[in-house]
Parts: sequence; structure tokens; C-alpha cells
Amino acid sequence: MTMIGVDVGGTFTDVVAIEGGEIRTIKVATEARTEEGVIAGAREAGVENATVFNHASTHGLNAVITRKLPKIAFLTTLGHRDILDAGRTWRPAEALTDAHWRRPYGDAARPLVARYLRRGIRERITADGGILIPLDEDQARAELEVLRRCEVEGVAICLINSYVSAHHEERLRDLVHEVLGPVPCSISSEVSPLAKEFARSSTTVIDVFMRIIYDGYTSRLDAGLRAEGFTGQLNYANCAAQLVSADIAVEHPYEIVFAGPAAGTMASAYFGSLIDTPNLLCADVGGTSCDISLVTDGAPSVDTTFELEHDLIVNALSNEIVSIGAGGGSLVTVSPAGELLVGPGSAGSVPGPACYGRGGTQPTTTDTMLLMGIIDPDGFAGGRMQLDPDLARRAFQDLDSPLSFDQRVNYAFRVGVNNVAEGLFNVAVKHGIDPRDYSLLAFGAAGPMLLPATLGLVHAKEVVVPPHPGLFSALGLVSSDQVYGDSRSAYTILEPGAAESIEKVYAQMEDRLKQRFGDRGGDAKFVRTFDALLMGQSWETPFVTIPDGPITADTVHQMIANFHDVYQQRTGNRFEALPVQGVTYRVEAVFPAAKVEYPKLPARDSGGPESSRELEIRYLTDEPLVALEYQRVDLRAGDELAGPAVVREPLSTTFVPPGHHLTVGTYGELHIRLGGTP
Amino acid sequence: MSDTKALRDLTDEEFAARYHADRFTAGVLGNRMRYVVDHMCAGLLNNAFSSILRDWYDFGATIAGPPEQDYQMSTVSNSLAVFLGTMGDAVRNTIEEYGPDEVEEGDIIIANDPYRVGNHVNDMCFIRPVFHEGRIITFVTIRAHQLDMGGVVPAGFSATKRNSYENGLVISPMRLYVKDKPVRSTFNLIFDNARMAALLYPDMKSIYQALLLAERLILESVARYGVDAYLGAISYTCDASAEAMSTALRESIPDGVYEAEEGIDADGVDDSITYQLKIRIAKHGDRVEVDLSGTSEQARTSVNATALDAKTAIAVGIKMLIDQTTPFNSGSFRNIDVVVPPGTICSATPPDGCVFLYWESTMPVLQAVYRALSKVLGVNAVGGDYGSLMLHNANGVTEDGTPWTTVAECGGEHGPWGATKAGDGDSYMVAQLINNIDPATEAIEANSPVVVLRKEYAADTSGAGENRGGASVRRDTLYLRDAEHWSSPLHTKKPSGVGAYGGRDGVAQACWMFTPESFDIAQTQDLLGTGPEVYAASQPIAGVLDPETKVLDPAGEYHYFASTPIWRTSPRTIFRYQTGGGGGWGDPLDRDPERVKRDVRDEYLTIEGAYRDYGVRVVGSPLTHPEELTVDTEATERRRAEMRAAR
Repeated sequence: MTMIGVDVGGTFTDVVAIEGGEIRTIKVATEARTEEGVIAGAREAGVENATVFNHASTHGLNAVITRKLPKIAFLTTLGHRDILDAGRTWRPAEALTDAHWRRPYGDAARPLVARYLRRGIRERITADGGILIPLDEDQARAELEVLRRCEVEGVAICLINSYVSAHHEERLRDLVHEVLGPVPCSISSEVSPLAKEFARSSTTVIDVFMRIIYDGYTSRLDAGLRAEGFTGQLNYANCAAQLVSADIAVEHPYEIVFAGPAAGTMASAYFGSLIDTPNLLCADVGGTSCDISLVTDGAPSVDTTFELEHDLIVNALSNEIVSIGAGGGSLVTVSPAGELLVGPGSAGSVPGPACYGRGGTQPTTTDTMLLMGIIDPDGFAGGRMQLDPDLARRAFQDLDSPLSFDQRVNYAFRVGVNNVAEGLFNVAVKHGIDPRDYSLLAFGAAGPMLLPATLGLVHAKEVVVPPHPGLFSALGLVSSDQVYGDSRSAYTILEPGAAESIEKVYAQMEDRLKQRFGDRGGDAKFVRTFDALLMGQSWETPFVTIPDGPITADTVHQMIANFHDVYQQRTGNRFEALPVQGVTYRVEAVFPAAKVEYPKLPARDSGGPESSRELEIRYLTDEPLVALEYQRVDLRAGDELAGPAVVREPLSTTFVPPGHHLTVGTYGELHIRLGGTP
Repeated sequence: MSDTKALRDLTDEEFAARYHADRFTAGVLGNRMRYVVDHMCAGLLNNAFSSILRDWYDFGATIAGPPEQDYQMSTVSNSLAVFLGTMGDAVRNTIEEYGPDEVEEGDIIIANDPYRVGNHVNDMCFIRPVFHEGRIITFVTIRAHQLDMGGVVPAGFSATKRNSYENGLVISPMRLYVKDKPVRSTFNLIFDNARMAALLYPDMKSIYQALLLAERLILESVARYGVDAYLGAISYTCDASAEAMSTALRESIPDGVYEAEEGIDADGVDDSITYQLKIRIAKHGDRVEVDLSGTSEQARTSVNATALDAKTAIAVGIKMLIDQTTPFNSGSFRNIDVVVPPGTICSATPPDGCVFLYWESTMPVLQAVYRALSKVLGVNAVGGDYGSLMLHNANGVTEDGTPWTTVAECGGEHGPWGATKAGDGDSYMVAQLINNIDPATEAIEANSPVVVLRKEYAADTSGAGENRGGASVRRDTLYLRDAEHWSSPLHTKKPSGVGAYGGRDGVAQACWMFTPESFDIAQTQDLLGTGPEVYAASQPIAGVLDPETKVLDPAGEYHYFASTPIWRTSPRTIFRYQTGGGGGWGDPLDRDPERVKRDVRDEYLTIEGAYRDYGVRVVGSPLTHPEELTVDTEATERRRAEMRAAR
């Protein structure tokens, strides 16, 4: 009985194999043909014994980012072909006074679908579902002939107001198949029947891209795994890191495009539940960024949409992640005023930090940590890579800065730590939480190195370093349940008379879901929620709960009351005099799945942990500090150490700053708190 | 700065003596101030009730120093650029008038008079003094658009108000909270004079909470780093921006005097006056003087701006051109002097110089800065944007008598930007002085009995250039019910999309109305066409148009936007707005013929337009065979040689 989780990143593919109480982790290079790397990792993990194979893929995401995309067409209502270029129009705050800014997916930059392949179809449905202009089939056929000549590989269809009436979209899809044959074709009324045409269009376009990309990928992967003797269940993780059976996932592949980052939050939430720590600020610090997410009372903070690029929205539930440019590869630079800056630019993996010796000449956070003595030049990345402190030193010397050398390294460390601290603090303030009620969960290769030093700035309860921090995200793939959801918009003023129409919306979605999972459904329990607004507002308050059972006049009263409660809880205000308008109705069915079991670490009978050697930590204070180095594998539950100390393991280093102490927990996790002695 | 030594050349001792902090602490505190301002905005955005705050970011937030630091504004939010420059003066003018010694701990001081604090009466300033050990160390301020501030026009957006009495309630500096308790008389003053008081109150509560959050975060920073370091960081942050602007001025603009003119078509009284805006930019060393003398007297209706708004547009325009990324603050103005006589359209005075649609007067200021500097900036010159919001407001009642209203969403509120060295301009953007989220067509149609039939780019409208401007946006809106309309296209006489570095101007803007008698969608079962033949049957609302065909024609006749102040229409009337085109950048004859061909394929250009404006002969049928277009290289070279010779 083995469970396998695979997280495909840009450079490395992380594989975790869980067997009994044992967790094995494997890192293989991501191959140009992604499935080859995945299958190689699966082979190494012993896939023939696996019952489940859970997969988070960045394959589709990378295709969007690099624009290595199939050629598809976008059909919409005549007069609206530029929906996809205009987006929601706003520009990011940092471009407020920048006349050179261009919308990243606009025609002036890198469009997803060129304008000549975005074509208007003569038809018009009104907001109440009426037909102002009937679908002109002759005109549609003529447009499709143009696309046939252009040899498009797929078609996305989003007509104005199709969230109210799907009729024209369905007929148009028939015509697409009639003229173009069996090309992948998604219609927005099926993919994401939510109001607001831009998000629905972009979601549908992404869906068609992913159908083309994942269709071939999934069949190749499945065949490859079967050839290795795999007989179990293949699942994908979606953008909320919940699992979806692969055959169902490929029907709505836009939901799996952003799974990788979400998995870390899910791993955190699950591990937090094991150690009785339900409130977490999670920080996944890798080479280029620090991804921050929030878990409250055991539940990840979830958004109703996510952005692939500025304003390129996909309508999928996703774990809310704030990414800041603070990772191991973050560049140390000097501003014109002489201020030392760390990030947001990154050296990436090529050329990488100066100490990698791959031609990088600018110092990075990794160089800082190396010069300070926190990173071991001989033990980096499991000892596979030798780092050169002289190159790091030269990079710092070459900075055009008024600061002395010692100050440069010291500032680079403190600014790097401060950036992460401000990012964490920012998320806390935004959500109105008090960091003192939260633990910081530190993972990603660079997380355990940076996070403990933020404690004095963030005032969180503690830092927790989980087992396998370098591969912890991938463990999120064996930490969640199977979840199937659907959603639909229908603007409805909530009043007793609306009960019947609302019930109908839910019943339709639930019927459709039941068809999707067929005999796997069994006695699936559906959970209903809705998004609503106060009349006059233009944005919704999402995830308001609904009492069980069919919707009656009484239920509607309860829905209104629940809305006011949630609104008050989130904004501090209550406006009972204003009517409530239901906008989007959501339903979810949950099937419990097997999860990773973390082995418990025994305690020691007597004595304490033995340090492997003494280290010198430089540049942190005026004189170098003496710190003890420990190997994580030597630690036992209940062990305690005082900072300054360094704990090493193959893919990560934990730095316990002076004035902090560390306690080893039941599962071998490291708890670091402020205070000199335990 | 007391001496001219660059910040980076200061020794540790000099730095500490000047800013009472080391470089690290000053940098951290500067960052922290940006975060605090972001949190004020997030607190407001997450809790704001009115969609004008939420979707138009129609608010600003700042941190300013104490009176002894002359209230210098270290940090301002990246919300709306029109607030960037007015906020600093708003805080100083308000507190100086109120009396800095009268301000007490726990106060919120409010003010909204455009002549004192800039912008318009609906943009209320809420100023919170932050005390430390009994003295004021900083002011945190939010300025936020209130849905209504009284006056003769509900919500206020109108080009037709004639004086400050019609405009709305003016509030001189007064306290809204004392010792953190609401002042009943102040709230009542507002609620007795403004409409929709029930909706104003929740936003005011959210603003108060956001100010308290900022105060708490600042006091935490002061506790950690000390008050002297905090005050030093305010000075340091301003000095850093001032130094960046000074460097940019010295290095990017040659010494000299540069002039330009822009204008506004007319005011809301009649079309007897075309308003001129004159700008004279004198640059020497690292300083610049911008003189608006010669600009027309203030307009007779509410299209004027105050001098504070003009000052903002000047500084933002210069930053857009030469110093895009440095954070904006009081320091950004240090090397810019503005001269403007009182009583012009850009420096209106009460009571007759009514100020509401002030951006219609300051967007031309921005364009004038671009136009004046276009020649000397070389490759760094920037093409102009669409230049005017062409606001359209309409209202009526539904079948069951429920009132509906659409505000600033069915006119020409969004349009193209100009080209720059970075590439072609985008076609659907927010004007450079503002920023917002565009309401979805489906949301507009769910709320009002209208159908947005077309929201699409028009071919051959962008300013030609090696990089071309964005295209005009053509928006057709069908009104299903009887309706009343206010339309404000104010810049039709000249294109706003200024060409740069040899690029051409975009086309001018215009607006037409089609009654069901001239085009009936129920009968045609089709959209109103886009060819030149459709306009003859229209009722022009505004624009310079051919007298017969009523298509855009720079030599045609001007149609005055308020010839009928309120347009009353029967069901199935269509309004067509066409925004100006974005300015081009670089010589159009240098545009790669392949890029021109791609524009023909993508219908940004017609085959005729490509030949006329770019000298490129494209062959084929773009509508039916878009991938089979070719460039006739020989004909193109010949045509381009002719065009060059004819210059």
C-alpha cells in the first residue's frame, strides 16, 4: 500500500511516497516532456504498489506563462470581440505613473488569442434571457469557415448573458463541430456559468488550452504509469489542492492549472491539525519567492478566483496565496540613494546566486547566508552542489554602495528578513487577525533559514518547521480529500418567493455532479453556499452558508440572516434595511481520502542532543558568534536547544537566532520561540 | 536639503546626523510607511459600501509630517493619480486654517472645499493627528469620494453647474470626531445637506476605522525605532524622491523653453467660448518652471479645476515621462515650480469658477506637458491617451416604476493609451490620471434596462507610428426604456492623443444618437453598422463632423455637446460614443511592414489605411482569409519613398 504525490515544478519534480509510517522523498529533474520525469520519479517511488497517484501539475501554467500555447479561436457576441484584450481595465498600483505599462495579455503585448481569431457572432441575449437578435447560423458558418482555413485546434465560446441562457452557446458549439470537426470546444455556460463576461471568457479560453494540453498529457501519463505496473487511482489536485479523479478533472481542466502553490497550504492545514495548531501563517520560501497563505481554524483561506497574470482571471476556487519577491535567489542591489535592497528581482536558477559559480555576479540571499556561516558550502542541496564563498564575497565587494563590507552583509540579511516579516504582517493585517494567535509554518528550502529571525518583528506565537520542509508542498497532495464542486450565477433578490427558483439552480447543479461521478457518488453529501451582495454594491460577499434541506420560504429568511451575519463578521457593519441579492450559488460534495501518516519521533531516554560541530556566525553582530550545529536526524522528541544554533538536513537549514530557543515536537517538527532559554 | 551632497555619498555619521537613524532603519521605516498606507486602503476597500470607492479607487491615503516639518507628505497611496498632488496641500491648508495648536488627541478633522484642498466637494478629507507623548508627530489622512454632497445635481457629476452654491455643501475645516466620539452637529450638517445619507454613514465609519489602524501601526513603529528615527525617515523618504526627480530633470530634458496649447470645446452654457490652455515649460539644470499664464478665464460651469489639481497634473505628467518608478511624495514637487494666475480654467476661484469635472481641465494639462516635451525627449517621448472621459449619465424608471440610473459606464469613459518606446498602445485603458475596474457589460445590463451592443475597437483611428497608439473604442448602448441623458464629450475639436517622436496624433472623439426612426434594431435584427454610410441618419451629440455624412472630419462643423442640456429619448434609442485614438510614437514609415500586415489581419488597420498612413501595400482579404495576406514589397518601397520625398 503506497500513496504517491507528485509536484511538478519548473526545474524539479518532487515525488513523495508514503508507505506505512515511512515517508520517502525523491527529487528528479523536470523533463522537456513532463510526463517522462514524472514517470521516472514514479518508477523510483515504486508505483507498482501504489493505490493512489496524486498529481499537481504546473505543465499548463508554464504553457500560459511562456505562451507556448495551441492555436485556438474565441467566439463571442458580435461587437464584443475585444473582451479578452480589455480585461477589467485597471492597472496595478506600481504602474500608476508609468506610461510604458502594457496589459500583459493585451494585443500590444502577448495576447492569448490574436484578434483575428476572436470573432463576433450575430446574436444577442438580454439580461433577462430574452432574445434581442436570434443566432444567425449562416453568419456563424461563414465565420467558422474562416477559422477552418486558419486550422485552429480548439474553440472557446462565451456569448454575452449566456450565464442566463445557454441556448445560443449550445447551438453554436454544434455548428463548430459541424464545420471544424471534433476539435475541443468549451462553452462558458458549462465551464463557468458566472456573471461578468471577462472572467467567464478568460476561464473558458484557459479551459480550451488546458483541454488540448492535458488531454494528450493525461493519456500519455496514464499509459506510462500503467506500463510501470500501476493499477490504482490517478488524481489531479485542483487550485484549492483538493483531489479530483483524473478522468473527471480533464473535463474541466481549468480547475487544475494552479495546483502547485496551493498544495503547500493544504500540507500545512493537515499537519497543523496533527499537532493541534489550527491557526497558521504559512510561508513557502523557495528560490525566487515567498508564498504566504493563511489557515484559520484548520481551514485554508480560499478565493473565488485567481489571477495567472495581472488581471488574467480564472473562475476557480483557489487557496489564497500572496507571493512576495523574497527567496534564496533574491538579488541584493543598491538604490540610487544608496539604500540596500533585497529582491524582488531574482537570479533564478541560471545564473543563480554568485556562489553557484555559474556566472552570477550579483549577490543574493543565498550568498548572504553563506557568508554568514549559516549555509554550509559543502552540504548544499543534499551535498550535490559545492558553493564558493569567495565568489559570494566578491559579489558583495563589487556592489556600488556607500556601506562597509560588514554592513552590506548585515543589512542584506536584515533587509531580507524584514521583507518576509512585512509580507507576513501584511497578510495578517489584511485579514484582521492577530499574529499572536498564529504559528508561522516555515517550509520550502529557504523557509527554515529565514523565518525564525522574523519572530521578533511579526510577534507570532512561534515558528514551526515541519518534517521534510524542502518537499513539504508535495505532501499536500496526500493531505486532502476528494472534492467536486460546481457554481452558477443567477441574480435573485432574496425574498420568500424566490425559494423555488433557487432550489432549482441547486438541484440542477447537483444532478449534473451526480452524473459526473456516476456510481462513485454513493451517498455523497452536498454542501451548499452562496455569494450575495447588498443592493447597490458591485462586489459579492462569498461563501454564505445555507441550512440543510430543500430551499423554502423559511430557508430564504435564514439565508438573508446568514448573509447579514457574515457581512457583519467580515466588515464590522450590518445593514438589515437593505435588500440582499443572491448572485452565485455554489455546491460541493466531499469524499474522504486516505492521507499521509507522519511517523512519531521517539523521545530520548537520557541526555540531550549532541552537536556535530561549532560554527562561527559572522556579520550578525560586531563580533562573530559561536553557534552549535546539529543534524536534524540526530534530534529526538522533546529535545531543546538554545540559539544561536543551526540545524541541518539534506535539503534545508534551520537557523535559530540568538535569543531564541528550539523544542522538538512529537512528529519531529521544530518549534522555535523567542526567549533565551527553553 | 541643506547641502547638495548626494544621499548615497553621505557618510554614516552625516546620514545619522541628518535623519536620526542609520540607513537600514530609515529604509525600513520608509517601507513601513508604504505598508501603512496600503493597509489604510485595504481596510477601506474591504469595507467600503459604495462602488465608487471600491471600483474606481476613488480615494487616497497619506502620511504627512508634523507642522514643524511643514507637513511634508512622505507617502501617498497608489490609488488615483489625481489625488497624488493635492493631498499634501490639503493636510497643510486644513490644519493651518484650523490651527495646529487647537488640534487634540482623538480628533478627526474634515474638509472638502476644492479651493482649499483640491479635487471636488464630494472628495472629503478625513485627517487624523497622531500624538506621541503629547505632541503631534504625524497626520494620517484619507480622502474619499462621498456618493453625494448636496447641490443641484444628484451625485454631482455634471458639466452644467454654474457656481459653488449649485455645486454642493462646502465644509471648512471642522471636527468630525472629538476624543474619538462622533460630533453630532458635524454629522448632521452633512446628512441634512447630502442625499443618500444612509449610504454615506457606513463609508465614514470604515474610514474612521482605517485611520485608527494607521495610527496604531505608526505608534508601533515609533515604539520600536524611536520618534526621532520616525521623523527622520519622513524627511529621508521625501529627500530620496526629490533627488530622483532632480536627477531625472537634469539628465532627461535639455535646458530650454518648451510651449504647447490644448483646449476644452465649450462649457455648459453655450458654445461661444473655446477654452485655451497654454503651457510654457522652462527647464534649467535640475529645476523646471511650468507656467500656465495665458490660459483662458475660468469656465462658466463646472468643468474647471483648481490650481492644486493643475499642479498635480503637471507633476504626474513629468513623472510619467521621466521618473516613472520612484514613489510619489512631497519631494517629487521640490524641483518643480508652477506659475498660474488666479481665475483660469486651471485655477478657478469661488463662487463663479465652479469645480466638479476637474479632470476635464487637468487631462489637457497632462497632454500639454506631453506635447510641449514631445520633441526634446527623443525616444523617451510618450504618445497621449484618449484625453477625456466623455461621461454619459442616464436615468428613467422600469415598467413597475422603479428608478434606474447608469453613471459613467455607457459613454467613452475608457479608451486607448498612446504608444511609447515600449510598444504599441493598449486600446482599452483608464485615463492616465485615474485608474479603475471597468463595470462588466453583464453587470450594467443586470442593473439597468440597457443593452451594450458594441464595445469594440475602430479601425484606422490610432495615431500612426513606428509604434502605433491604441485604437478608438466604439461603444453603442441601446436604451430599452424612456430615458433622460447627460452627455459630456468635451474634447472633440482637436485630437487628445498627441503623437510623439515623429508619431501622428490619433483621431478626435465624437458622439452620435440614433433614434428608432433612424435605426431600429427590432426591425433589422442586427447591430448598427460601422461604415461611413450609417451616420447621415444620426443626431450628432458632439464632434467635428462632415455636414452631409456626419462622419468625423477635422475640416467639418462642430456640434456642441450641451445644445440640448438633457436628451430625452424614446425606447430603442442608441447612443454611439467613439473615443479619441491614442498617439503614435516614431515615424510611421519606419514601422516594419510585417507589423503593418499584422494590424490589417487584426483589423486595427484597413488595407486603405495601411497604404495611406504607413505606405504599406497589403494584398489579400483580411476578413475572410486573414492568414493569407501578403505585403507587396516593391509597391511599399515606392510608396514610402514618395511619402518621404513629399515631406
